[in-house]
Amino acid sequence: MAIDLGQGKTGLTAEADLSDPAYLKIRDVIYQISGIYQPEEKLYLLAARVGRRMSALNAKSPVEYLEHLTLRGNREAELRLLLNEITIGETYMFRSPPQLQALRTVILPQIIEAKLKLGFKRLRVWSAGCSTGEEPYTLAMFLLEESDKLLKGWTFDILATDLNDNSLAVAKNGIYGEYSLRSTTPELRRKYFTQVDDKRMQASDQLKALIRFDRVNLSDDSKMLFLKGMDVIFCCNVLIYFDLSSKRKVVQHFNSNLLPGGYLFLGHAESLYQVDDSFRLVHFPGTIGYWKPPVGYSDGGKP
Amino acid sequence: MNSEKLNGLRTRIKTLEAMPTVPAIVQPLVALFQQPLDQIETEKVIELVSYDKTIAAQCLRMANSPLFGMRKVESVRHAVVALGLKRVQAILLGCSLNSTVPADRWVVDAVTFWRHSLGCALVSRQMAKIIGYSDPEKAYLAGLLHDLGILVNSLVCTEDYRKCVQTASERHMALHLVEEEFLGFTHCQSGKVLGEHWRLPADVIEVIECHHDAGNITAGPLASLVHLSDLLCRVRDLGYGYYEVLGIDLAGDVAWTTLVRHHPQMVNMDLARFTMDIDGSMDEIIATVDTVFANKH
Repeated sequence: MAIDLGQGKTGLTAEADLSDPAYLKIRDVIYQISGIYQPEEKLYLLAARVGRRMSALNAKSPVEYLEHLTLRGNREAELRLLLNEITIGETYMFRSPPQLQALRTVILPQIIEAKLKLGFKRLRVWSAGCSTGEEPYTLAMFLLEESDKLLKGWTFDILATDLNDNSLAVAKNGIYGEYSLRSTTPELRRKYFTQVDDKRMQASDQLKALIRFDRVNLSDDSKMLFLKGMDVIFCCNVLIYFDLSSKRKVVQHFNSNLLPGGYLFLGHAESLYQVDDSFRLVHFPGTIGYWKPPVGYSDGGKP
Repeated sequence: MNSEKLNGLRTRIKTLEAMPTVPAIVQPLVALFQQPLDQIETEKVIELVSYDKTIAAQCLRMANSPLFGMRKVESVRHAVVALGLKRVQAILLGCSLNSTVPADRWVVDAVTFWRHSLGCALVSRQMAKIIGYSDPEKAYLAGLLHDLGILVNSLVCTEDYRKCVQTASERHMALHLVEEEFLGFTHCQSGKVLGEHWRLPADVIEVIECHHDAGNITAGPLASLVHLSDLLCRVRDLGYGYYEVLGIDLAGDVAWTTLVRHHPQMVNMDLARFTMDIDGSMDEIIATVDTVFANKH
């Protein structure tokens, strides 16, 4: 289903093979299994990534590649390799301003109001699948910038977890190059980083003190059960690597990890459609989040 | 709005007609499209379109735009036949409206306004198709015209409206909420008055009146549909041109419940995917607006 803009396909004639229906099928397979969606108008991006996998496999056509994804014995490994191509290079700080804007304008005010009624002034955010740490450091800067505004008088901390020890080591070290910092303003760099050499900067102790890094396997029930009291969970481009039943389990865990009224954010092309219906999909300008309604919330009202 | 204010608004809207910028094509066009579609003579439409050079040109640009993907539509006749009467109706009304507002009277600027209106038209039509609403082209027309009142407000109270939009943008609030405070009426109400004056179809007038008030029990499914499309556009960078503080549980909206009652298959709609498809279409919406509507402002 693409938004039907009128009559037939447009503008795709130069790259004739884009009209190959196999690309749409590949797109749909990816969506069904991983929840990552590519609108029809952006198929050229997908085609480029599929192209890289095709040459690696020596596949002659998208149809043949589709077989690798669906019929061959190595399909799970191949899907993972393709997803790596799709999500590659997406990690840098302040990657998703709309998510932070939603936090600032809607989510934090909502949570603050609800918690103040109960006399709580503590906020917990979890970056689940934090990779090399760009996301938790972004959140740390964001929260610190709000600490004399929205969060005045509040305490807050960030849990950052990943399965990969190497990524976690990089994250803990907090040294980043220009790619990771490309969307970080000079002002924030000055405030929260120190220059290591002419190409790299290191996160300040103030940032690091806010974040607790830990190795967590999201499929590890015993560990997941103990992570409680979260207000917001970020889990971007992580669930895409899980099969449907494991994904369901992880999302159910997230639901109980979150406090009532808490939010879950996924990667910008990810969807929980048919994975979970305990969360409610909420639209914010430029982003969507998943909301855990408080007890007693019923349809027909608004969060 | 009290009756005194309403009458005042009616009078001001009537004076609009005397303005030289209102294309002569509008009234006969609306009258023509009151007839059932199969009784409308294509020749009559071609004649009307050809009558106004600006509108004929805009119509051609639309037919040649990436949205329709046709190669080289060079005559009005070809454009009308190729686009189909329903689409021509929507385009003509859009183009007529566009030339109704002089360049210096646009309060929400023309590019922003048409991106929002065209976006809403396309999203409404697509949603109509997905949920099985019987007349997707009607949904398109209603989406295109739902904010008619914004143009009315820009024309009848330009300076007050400028302050109003400015304030809405500073407060990051929905326009209709601030209009109530600044003007005493909203674009829903002023749009309705003009829609009635122009004798637009009753269900389109209802959309114009109720697209921010889908809880209104008398409103039909079309108003609910456009209400949801309007919200979707406003959270996907096709809004009023400023950041609105919005956190919307669409499936928890009254309009959603109304639509599900009429179209039960809607419960299966994949909203996340639909949203990403809107993003995918963004480039073409922008390209179309830039070539068709925004060129002269």
